[in-house]
Amino acid sequence: MNQVLEIILRLAVWLLVAPLLPGIINKVKAWVAGRKGPLVLQLYFDLAKLWRKGVVMSTLASPAFVAGPAVAWVALTGAALLMPLGAAGSALSFRGDVLLLIYLLALARFCTAWAAMETGSAFEGMGAAREVSYAVLAEAAIIAAVLSLSVQTGSVSLVTILSPSAGAGAVLLAAGLFTVLLAENCRVPFDDPNTHLELTMIHEVMVLDHSGPPLAAILHGASVKLLLFAVLLVQAVLPMGDLTPLAATGALAAGVLVVTVGVGLVESLLARLAFRRVPLLLTTAFLLCLFALLVAWKGGAK
Amino acid sequence: MTPGALLSLAAASLVAGIASGPRFSRAWLAFTLTGAVAGLTATLAVLLGATDWEWQSAFALGGEFVHLRLDGVSALFLALLSVVGGTGAMYAREYWSEEHYPDSAPRGRLWWSALLLSMGLVLLCANGLHFLIGWELFTVSAFFLVTLDRQRPGVRAAGWLYLVASHAGTVCLFAFFSTLAARTGSWELGPMREQVALAPLFWLALAGFGVKAGVFPLHVWLPSAHANAPSHVSALMSGVAIKMGIYGIVRFSGWLPVPAGAGWLVIGLGATSALLGIAFAFAQNDFKRLLAYCSVENIGVILIGVGGALLAVTHGDAPWGKLALAGAMLHVWNHGAFKALLFFGAGSVLHATGTRELSKLGGLWRTMPWTAGLFLLGSVAVAGLPPLNGFVSEWLIYLGLFDATMSKGVSAWAAMPAAIMLAMAGALAMASFAKAGAMIFLGAPRTHVATDAHDCGLGMRGPMLLLAGVCVTIGLAPILFWRVAARVVASWRPAWVMVEAPAPLTTLGSVHVALAILVLLAAVWLWRKSRANGLACGLTWDCGYATPAARMQYTSASFGGIVAGWFGWVLQPERKLRRPRGQFPTEAIRLERVPETVLERVIGPVGAVILQVSTAVRQLQHGRLQFYILYVLAGLIALGVLVMIGGAQ
Repeated sequence: MNQVLEIILRLAVWLLVAPLLPGIINKVKAWVAGRKGPLVLQLYFDLAKLWRKGVVMSTLASPAFVAGPAVAWVALTGAALLMPLGAAGSALSFRGDVLLLIYLLALARFCTAWAAMETGSAFEGMGAAREVSYAVLAEAAIIAAVLSLSVQTGSVSLVTILSPSAGAGAVLLAAGLFTVLLAENCRVPFDDPNTHLELTMIHEVMVLDHSGPPLAAILHGASVKLLLFAVLLVQAVLPMGDLTPLAATGALAAGVLVVTVGVGLVESLLARLAFRRVPLLLTTAFLLCLFALLVAWKGGAK
Repeated sequence: MTPGALLSLAAASLVAGIASGPRFSRAWLAFTLTGAVAGLTATLAVLLGATDWEWQSAFALGGEFVHLRLDGVSALFLALLSVVGGTGAMYAREYWSEEHYPDSAPRGRLWWSALLLSMGLVLLCANGLHFLIGWELFTVSAFFLVTLDRQRPGVRAAGWLYLVASHAGTVCLFAFFSTLAARTGSWELGPMREQVALAPLFWLALAGFGVKAGVFPLHVWLPSAHANAPSHVSALMSGVAIKMGIYGIVRFSGWLPVPAGAGWLVIGLGATSALLGIAFAFAQNDFKRLLAYCSVENIGVILIGVGGALLAVTHGDAPWGKLALAGAMLHVWNHGAFKALLFFGAGSVLHATGTRELSKLGGLWRTMPWTAGLFLLGSVAVAGLPPLNGFVSEWLIYLGLFDATMSKGVSAWAAMPAAIMLAMAGALAMASFAKAGAMIFLGAPRTHVATDAHDCGLGMRGPMLLLAGVCVTIGLAPILFWRVAARVVASWRPAWVMVEAPAPLTTLGSVHVALAILVLLAAVWLWRKSRANGLACGLTWDCGYATPAARMQYTSASFGGIVAGWFGWVLQPERKLRRPRGQFPTEAIRLERVPETVLERVIGPVGAVILQVSTAVRQLQHGRLQFYILYVLAGLIALGVLVMIGGAQ
């Protein structure tokens, strides 16, 4: 009974906090640009509005057009439940759960891409092609990052590998994971969530034809994913295990806030990269994670 | 019944199948299914029991006593053969039916039974001579199945290439078995790990079996053979026949001592096959070729596991070696199940539309909902996504590789890049199948062949449902498999029986079940919510196109363009471009084809040079006597000079 309650509580935290992040990012961007900007809670209102709206479906689309976002949302939420939260640990921890987490993200990506292709639109096809292609490099970077954490701690379980600090390679790992975060969550410089030029987008262009509750599921899932990566980044770098529970929770919250503001600043100060440069930046992220792995290796050998 | 009786029943049924095949299709199906069920039961008895089955004849065949043996390793492969062989026979009855192919359908049934029988023989033989005979029968029956539709020149070329490549491999196996027999003094096969002098023979076995398995760069025959064969044959070839190569590698690395470098080479070959195989797959426009290249990738994944296990043997790291081998063996099964399912799905599409080109299809989900759904399930499985079976085996291999990396031993230097390449191959597999599924089933029909399609009948749907059931079962209850895996590992390396290899498969299984239930619930809920809110249908909005046309859709080549660019150094795509010209351009063409690089850029040119040299040398042979006398004279003088120089020393 307690366990069920705990899972519900965790779920509530993840689902309720997640939409805050895009709001903060937008506020930071507005602040840098000297605008007033939308409310921090804007996404909550948007989600509530979308949830009540009707759906327009393409005549070409099959029911999987609606099922895809649902499956992706479940996969992302499941991945979030595997992620430990500071001193609270995770809802379920077992050997190899980190691999399940990575592959749940892949499942979500597959479903989003599939749903995008349902419409038969060239724009959406283009977005899906970019998403699945860049994921190849992003996935290599994530595996290298996880390997470095595993070598550091001698474990393949999220709770253990995220408990100590990343050690000497922390800066490299932070830079690598932050770049992956930007790519996986479709932020500048990989993608521009605000643009109206569909030709230049990845993620946003995949969801052009979605509306109503499925779009709400997609937007909410995207915010959960952003929070997931922020939490992963913060816990990988900070020594969560050495702090008292209260301090750990505080550090986690502060860290996530710093990452979010950082995303907002990057988005304000950088322009989107030309598409042919995207693989280069992702390769750089991969190399950063790879060097973190080598540092972890040498560090442990002493 | 004992395994012996069951295996005899299976063999007798298959012989009856060969006899009845050409005339009576119903009796043939009954016999083949009896054989498959009997074979499966026998293997289950061995896999779930504790003892191997062995039988030695009192009579000699070709000068050698027949020695049959069913242990953990061979039982695993035989079980897969029974399942894919049985379902394929059911599928073939509707797919390659008498009314569509009056000429080749009877032949197809005959060779199907012959192929099953010969593969079973290979798996059971514990005598080098009989193994070779079985191997040759297997190669030849597969050749006749690949070339069933032999009126088409493409099919004949593919069959020819397959036959030549297979025999190049068989040459290595002849050398392997005869050297082994010469060194040990007997054709008998069995565990001989202590005879260290036999270790170098492993390289011969690796080359011979590697050709059959389709390891990069020995895979040259595989794409065209799998693409041109009838789909049920492709399913058997890809699901089981290439696994015979894996069987050979696993079998003889288990029985014979292995050289120290074996693990390094096998894991390297595996990682290369996985990454390059799937890169080739992603760039294909022919969906059966795409599936064929994806088999190269999966063979690579299996070999990463096997290579990991060999490294563990060399460096004495049993726990993670056991995980890697268990993962590889489960992947043998998983790939057999989902690739057969995908080839059956591809066959249904081909049956309905008559084309293998992705750029001519589209929107088939409406006319072929069953095939679309089952193909989607197979795609999720082959991409290694939870909660299906592909993820379980890749997860086990990952665990092995992670443990190897964490041990910081020498083998970590192989495990680390292998894990990263496996991750990239996984992401590419996801991309390839998102592309294949979407191009075939989603969007608008690109040509009329796709508009006029119809779904397959029950005879083709039933076998696909069975295989889908296998994929789901292994995905949701992977713990059922652990006992079998432990049995296989025990046969491969008896010293590893007691080793603890921690893999929480029960937890993973329950997570998968929860995930599957939640996914279904969420999908239904969102669908109902959308319906309740009001579901309107309209043209694809697409930022306001008034009249989107089918040809404006993203194509298969454009979908794979980014990755094809990254791998351009190995894919070497051939482009044909005619730009639109003038005020009123009439036509513009952009064609792109990805050749089989190893075959067309390496083996082709080398073969051409050899042919040129042979043609030049043939000039010497012209039938004029006086020149022949001159040759003899020149030869004699040369010999004389040689003897004089030799004598002087």
